[in-house]
Amino acid sequence: MEVREEEMANTIAVLMRKAPYGSVYTAEGFRSMMGIGVFELNIRVLFVDDGVYALVKGQNPAALDMKPLGDGFPTLSEFGVTQFYVHDRSLSERGLAPKDLVMDVQVVDDAGAARILESCGIVLPF
Amino acid sequence: MKIGVLVLEGPYQHQAADSAYHFVKAALGRGHQISGIFLYTDGVNNANGYIKPPGERNVAARFSELAAQGIPVIACTACARFRGFRPDMLAQNVQLGGLGALADYLREADRFVTFGD
Repeated sequence: MEVREEEMANTIAVLMRKAPYGSVYTAEGFRSMMGIGVFELNIRVLFVDDGVYALVKGQNPAALDMKPLGDGFPTLSEFGVTQFYVHDRSLSERGLAPKDLVMDVQVVDDAGAARILESCGIVLPF
Repeated sequence: MKIGVLVLEGPYQHQAADSAYHFVKAALGRGHQISGIFLYTDGVNNANGYIKPPGERNVAARFSELAAQGIPVIACTACARFRGFRPDMLAQNVQLGGLGALADYLREADRFVTFGD
């Protein structure tokens, strides 16, 4: 499918690569989507590598004195962010399955993940 | 070509802020425009006007220099609060701003480049 250049320019892939609590990246990736989602940018969120842990059910980082991040992602639809993709091999390599996640997502293989990145004019890596 | 820039790392610990500066200089040298530089997360520390590294490159002064050329250099207000960063600490010509500025740069840019870990 050909994507027009103009559409591509306003389509942003937010790439979630990191485990949720070891660095600020997951939290700020989340906050950035709340912040820029309302400006009617077309956002596709792709979780790969340790980034898939961000969506796992039942996170409890109380011992770290931090707030759980996973439950926030389903609320991003209120900010216009509705396209969520998870890389299948990143899940399976960590012993996870879609049923372990806080929300329904589209599971994509390597080629599918590549297509998402190709379809976006901009990639924001977190 | 219009290029937007996002910086996710602070000064000196990693190369990202230096790379962003050199990238912007090189892009300007090739006749490209920079729609804006957004300093996000630890990137806001690159806007600390009190940075005084003895005998070393001054990363904050570099972003000041770019801002003085009319390139918008915006440090995230919320990230600054998280890091105890007061508005009067800002390097010259750099401003605090919200994610709306980032959204503007994303929308305006033909290409968008992130520097971070």
